[in-house]
Amino acid sequence: MTRDAIRSEINRIFSEQFEIDNPGLDDDLREAYEFDSIDAIELLREIEILLGSELSRAEKKNAMEIRTINQILDYIELLAQSRS
Amino acid sequence: MKRRVVITASSAITPIGHGKNEIVRNLAAGISGVKKLKTDDLLAKHIHSGVFGTVDYTIDYDFKRQYRKTMGPVSYYACQVAKEVLEKSGLNNEFITSGNLGVAFGSTHGSPTVQRNIYKSFFSESPDSFGSIGAVDYLKSMVHTTAVNITKMFGITGRVISSSTACTTSSQSIGFGYEMVKYGLQDAMLCGGADEYDTTTVAVFDNLLACSTEYNETPHLTPRPFDENRDGLVVGEGAGAVLLEEYESAKKRGAAILAEIIAFSCTNNGGDLILPNMDGITRTIKLGLKDAAISADAVDFVSAHATGTKMGDAIEAQATGKVYGDSPVVSGLKSYMGHTMGSCGAIETIISIYLMEEGFIAPTLNLDNIDARCAMINHAQKHVETDIRTASIQNFAFGGVNTCLIIKKI
Repeated sequence: MTRDAIRSEINRIFSEQFEIDNPGLDDDLREAYEFDSIDAIELLREIEILLGSELSRAEKKNAMEIRTINQILDYIELLAQSRS
Repeated sequence: MKRRVVITASSAITPIGHGKNEIVRNLAAGISGVKKLKTDDLLAKHIHSGVFGTVDYTIDYDFKRQYRKTMGPVSYYACQVAKEVLEKSGLNNEFITSGNLGVAFGSTHGSPTVQRNIYKSFFSESPDSFGSIGAVDYLKSMVHTTAVNITKMFGITGRVISSSTACTTSSQSIGFGYEMVKYGLQDAMLCGGADEYDTTTVAVFDNLLACSTEYNETPHLTPRPFDENRDGLVVGEGAGAVLLEEYESAKKRGAAILAEIIAFSCTNNGGDLILPNMDGITRTIKLGLKDAAISADAVDFVSAHATGTKMGDAIEAQATGKVYGDSPVVSGLKSYMGHTMGSCGAIETIISIYLMEEGFIAPTLNLDNIDARCAMINHAQKHVETDIRTASIQNFAFGGVNTCLIIKKI
């Protein structure tokens, strides 16, 4: 999956699940959209569905410092690579 | 420290309407909100009772996603009535968030709709089923979900009480809130209860043979509190909220004072968890009068718990008659909307205030022939224009919990 394709999926998830349309790549999600820890946990579930693979606890913990869409894309690319 | 406690705002979502105008109109016209039980994919087809006190109109919620994401249906009801109460109260945000305002709000068991989805994943054959439980499912379904969704939405930082005692849930909310303000632990309390449409509760009462089953084709003819032909309770849904404030500060800020709470009593039967108990109910009513420091003849109106069960109504009538004789007019408001469970105490308190304000007593619907075992009290069988000065609201719950709230017009 290309980065653009991942971004498109993430935009869809943000719109459908979090009612956030086209967030900026480097916007601080918490500050700009009140995206909080509960949302982050929900997003991880969506990422599992996207990858068709369960995330380990360590992988989930690694996501807790994520603040921007760009960081989310980096995170998913890394997960995808480790599963290829 | 003992302070006077007044109700300065109220709001209710009920099977007979949302807000005072609609509810009063339906009470005055004798219109029931009991409808047919909706079908579901879980229990409905197994339940003998085919009726429910249904909120079947649209409510225009205007909650931001940040609040909606932790709310099940029960919290939508709770937050809506809480929002309306705070708007009506005129309290400013500084006070609301100061820590001087607390919340006492509950429901019978959180959100059964959300719990049902969680259980589905437990029983799924799929090895990934646990992953389908959302991060917010617990927050949406937990027992205190109504109280804390309210605190979150309005930034309330005072005490939180979330009673979950079935039919006395919200009468306890008001009672415990009253004690918070009376004894100076909080200056104001937002109190109430809510319950959502749910067939699980109907199934529980149905299994206990407590539900009405003979009027499935004529839902408006049941429940029939105190009537010879009553055949059980009708489960319902709804929400009610009141704002309690310390009298002097409410007066000083020019708040509308709807009524004063002059007593709250709460007891347990100390034994059986289901059967109504004459001594327990009698003691609760007497303790209420003692707390109010008034005699029985000072009470003009009794809002009876009156669910429409054979034994419950008879025991309540006899206990009420023992304390009051045939002096106050007694009405069973559940005859209009069924048993709204965790919200019934708040809704019946709010309706008692409406009746005080409007100067009439809404009769017990479907009370065509008074059961001889319930005949010792002064039943409201027709619409009566009268000035209610003091009203008592009685509620009793599974678990042997009994409450009595007494309110007074000032």
